Amino acid sequence: MKWWSSYLKEMKIAGRGFYFYIEIFIAVVMVVILLFFVKEHPQSAEKQFMYYDMTPFMFNIMTNKAIDDGHLRMGAEKTFTLRPAEFKVINEQTGSSEPMTVEDKKQITVKTLETIDPETGELLKTVYVTDNKEDMIRLAHQERQMSAVVRMNEKGQFSYEYFLQGYETQRLVNLLVVIHDEKSAILQTQMDRQQIRELESGSTLNNRENILPLFITFAGSLMGFFIVMAYIFLDKDEGVIKAFAVTPSSVSTYLLSKTGVILTTVLISTSIITIPVMGTKANYPLLYLFLLVTTFAFSQLGLLIATFYDAFEKAFGMLYLVMIVLMVPAFSYLIPGFDPVFLRVFPTYPVLMGFKDILLNVKNTGYVWVTSLVFLLAGVILLWLTQKRLSKTLTV
Amino acid sequence: MIRVQNLYHSYTNDDHYAVKDISFEVEKGEIFGFLGPSGAGKSTTQGVLTGLLPLQKGKVVVAGYDLHKVDNRRFNKIGVSFEQSNVYGKLTARENLQFYAKLFDVPTRDPDDLLKMVGLTGKENERAGTFSKGMKHRLTFARSMINNPELWFLDEPTTGLDPAIAASIKDIIKAQTSKGVTSFLTTHNMYIAEELCDRVAFIIDGEIKLIDTPKNLKLQYGKKLVEIEYIKAGEAVKETLKTVDDADRKRIGEIVKNHEITTMHTKEATLEEIFIQVTGRGLV
Repeated sequence: MKWWSSYLKEMKIAGRGFYFYIEIFIAVVMVVILLFFVKEHPQSAEKQFMYYDMTPFMFNIMTNKAIDDGHLRMGAEKTFTLRPAEFKVINEQTGSSEPMTVEDKKQITVKTLETIDPETGELLKTVYVTDNKEDMIRLAHQERQMSAVVRMNEKGQFSYEYFLQGYETQRLVNLLVVIHDEKSAILQTQMDRQQIRELESGSTLNNRENILPLFITFAGSLMGFFIVMAYIFLDKDEGVIKAFAVTPSSVSTYLLSKTGVILTTVLISTSIITIPVMGTKANYPLLYLFLLVTTFAFSQLGLLIATFYDAFEKAFGMLYLVMIVLMVPAFSYLIPGFDPVFLRVFPTYPVLMGFKDILLNVKNTGYVWVTSLVFLLAGVILLWLTQKRLSKTLTV
Repeated sequence: MIRVQNLYHSYTNDDHYAVKDISFEVEKGEIFGFLGPSGAGKSTTQGVLTGLLPLQKGKVVVAGYDLHKVDNRRFNKIGVSFEQSNVYGKLTARENLQFYAKLFDVPTRDPDDLLKMVGLTGKENERAGTFSKGMKHRLTFARSMINNPELWFLDEPTTGLDPAIAASIKDIIKAQTSKGVTSFLTTHNMYIAEELCDRVAFIIDGEIKLIDTPKNLKLQYGKKLVEIEYIKAGEAVKETLKTVDDADRKRIGEIVKNHEITTMHTKEATLEEIFIQVTGRGLV
């Protein structure tokens, strides 16, 4: 009852203040950006460097066939400047390491192949073809892109040698093995692994939908992290916390009423962003549950950090820094081939992946449920810690 | 209603005490004045008694609750009127009181009655943020009565109010006292203390220098004074002299004999003068 009246009061205050409308405004801006400025199927920026270890005659036969089939077109030649570099090439299968040192600086001109959608003619990938393997490796290292050597033996069979950057996802590595490995036993194993998501869900997110988890995570779940603290410091400035502290109501009632406002706001703003983009495709019950649990946990984290400061201005710097750090997993999300293990310890990593699963409407929701449970527990623990600290510092 | 024994409090958790070794008791139905200049330890003491500051050292019992044991139910019996107005600026006067009433577990008073009592009738639906400083102060004062407190903490209750409103606030305090409410009044205004308090404590540098009734203090420390204004060499001169002091009495005789007297009044020592006499310090 006390929580409810506190919550209603907080909602009334929020409705008469500007933070609430800022959040709604940001949500509207985001959905406008998504709907009008983000294409569902954008022109691909994916690049790849290849060296075809075969005769020019065979290369021409191969490319001409693809061009005739409508899968490929020739692009304009491109010039790259190769810079001196020093790095290692590690063989994944043998574990051997080969140092590579190049001291010269030179310009090379490469052929450009563009793989296209045969139906729409839309560009899918740009492939730069070098004249030798060393140039290809240097380019791959310099441009931080995947590269491959394609060979054809005397029997006309193809083999592939991939050069990766080292931080790619295991899923990508598995996929390459599945596609190219000749050994059926390994192929079978890898296919089993691949089943985890790709084969089961049978659906993918288009470019616009794929950006949604980022928006929901950072403008939704993380919003609570920042705004709840602003609300607390507004109360401190007005001195109303002292008035609250001399009532029979508990500190947790106070904190949870603030959190309630954040959860309500985030539900509204996330709906504004999500519904116009996803329509009926997403698993909304799970989306809202996941949103509430993660926002709850992040709000408590924001509150806990706020307890170490007596003024908003002092806390602002630290909160901003933590927010920036929490946004780092976005790189992994946006660049599927970039998935270093250390990023998984960031709490926003599972949140991003969880929202993606929900929007994909995957059948296996175990990951989302487990993540929800972990965040709920974390939120409760953080609330307990915050309450302990605030009992001592709230009114000082 | 309040029992304090050997209370110490340090903001830095060391031997630099804001209040040190203070002890006193406040009986039910009494108005107890806690007097001292800024920084004397008044707010710190009230902070500990109201639970806004943790009890570090000493024994404190408030409204029957030992403060070493955390029990928020005690706030059902307590009302606190803060010196700095602290109401929700985005809520109306009525909404402020309605919300606050719901935080208590005991029957509460009608917000409109309280607003009428403090002269805010007609302002019920206006947001507190639009109020003047005095109006906010009155709203804060009204809020402190919402739960019919048995023990009332009043921090500078008339500060910043015009004389007419201040007089009505004093009347409210007297009326509450007649109903058996105990008041702990913190102020540096000796006139209001003199008018309202049954007993006063003088606190300075974190220590209580004395506790007594205003009447006893005047009997013990106050001396009858005569204030004479006379003409000397064409200019008005004013002197304040004690009627119990031989030299001063002789001086009064000289002035009356040799000068033209403009005005001559007898007066009692004020509580403020007694405070200065006892502590050697002023109240500001």
